[in-house]
Amino acid sequence: MIFAPRCAFVPLFGADIAIVRLVLLAGGASKEAWALDLRTPQGTRELLVRRAGGGVIHQATLTLEDEHRLLEVAYAAGVRVPRPYGYLGEIAGRPAFVSERVSGETIGRRIVQRPELAGARAALPAQMAEELAKIHAIPAERVPFLGGVGARDVLGRLTNEVDRLEDAHPAIELGLDWARRHAPPQSETVVLHGDLRVGNLAVIATGLGHVLDWEFGHRGDPAEDVAWPLVRAWRFGVDQLRLGGIGEVEPYLERYNALTGRHITLASLDYWEIVGNLKWAIGALTQSRRHLSGQQRSVELAVLGRLAAEMEFELLHLLERAG
Amino acid sequence: MQDRPNAAELAQAVREFIETEVLPGIDDPRLRFRALVAANGLGILEREIALGAPLVRREVGSLARLLGHADPLPEDLEELRRRASELNRELALRIRSGDIPEGTLAHCVATVADKLRVASPRYLERYR
Repeated sequence: MIFAPRCAFVPLFGADIAIVRLVLLAGGASKEAWALDLRTPQGTRELLVRRAGGGVIHQATLTLEDEHRLLEVAYAAGVRVPRPYGYLGEIAGRPAFVSERVSGETIGRRIVQRPELAGARAALPAQMAEELAKIHAIPAERVPFLGGVGARDVLGRLTNEVDRLEDAHPAIELGLDWARRHAPPQSETVVLHGDLRVGNLAVIATGLGHVLDWEFGHRGDPAEDVAWPLVRAWRFGVDQLRLGGIGEVEPYLERYNALTGRHITLASLDYWEIVGNLKWAIGALTQSRRHLSGQQRSVELAVLGRLAAEMEFELLHLLERAG
Repeated sequence: MQDRPNAAELAQAVREFIETEVLPGIDDPRLRFRALVAANGLGILEREIALGAPLVRREVGSLARLLGHADPLPEDLEELRRRASELNRELALRIRSGDIPEGTLAHCVATVADKLRVASPRYLERYR
């Protein structure tokens, strides 16, 4: 299906171009990803077009224009991200941007299981810590459009999202109550990726190729980002390896702390892991409402409403352990 | 009375059709993933038809004990579902106001486990 006129790419790549291939890829639920091969005088470029889908997962999702700007800033800061080429404005009524199309495995289940990626799994924990350290060092004034400030802000947003669901969820309320009572004092506020985990990384034989999916970028407590890949849903069935089904937490945390000079504790990660499960439980319920409301009819979103119980169960398991 | 296949048998027939006849012929990975999700959705429906009524009865009984309601449980399934929804709202409000009934965590663990018996029984096994 061709949706993009060639002229959309002329301002970025010049007039002497031709669209060789344009196909919709598997991708996130809230955004489309198109593979674009563009013939230019310098040869054929392999590009990726990100275009808005029917809705958003969280209220705090960045616009495509801001996501592209964040990608530019992260690229300039030396973070391993696909090179951004430019914001395209609206294509057939929806905003889009174009970036380099990178190779690598992005399917979480394959990353945690495939024998040929064993070497990558060994390298990933330290590499994830290194990318997080670079992201958290991005000066906030370069991305003034990013919202958020810390734990209280996250919990306020989650409470608002729960209130938009028409039915009540006592397990989630218990989690929110615990998280409010144990919220850490506001430390520092840094630029966060917001969704850095196995499944949002392009993984190659040597480990981390690129950090993808920047739409949940915001500002907040660095421990929120460091704890997010620990959430059980992102271990893709390899539950005993708490860091994303690929490794232990301690060396990852030590590497992060050594690089940043911060002193994030395991106890702090325990707190943010609970908040992470809250975020994804509520996110899954909210996504299913997009199907139910008719905003985006999709069997995938529909079934996600039932799978939210997995995150609720993990949340309760963690609350039992936390006491 | 409708003729057989009954609701569960019909859901099973469609799921088996997707799994054995549709999936092997799909090359497009996106379509393949959604077909698997659709088959999973029918599996949820089959389990809900088999287990749904006793589980919602158990949930309402547990909620009523937790919240100190002594009125008898309704017999009608739709009425039970309405009651479950009302009582969950009441419990959620109690938690939100900081007035958490004794035993709420154990109730939630048991109730969410029951949801998973329908939605994702294999996930539950990962906690054994």
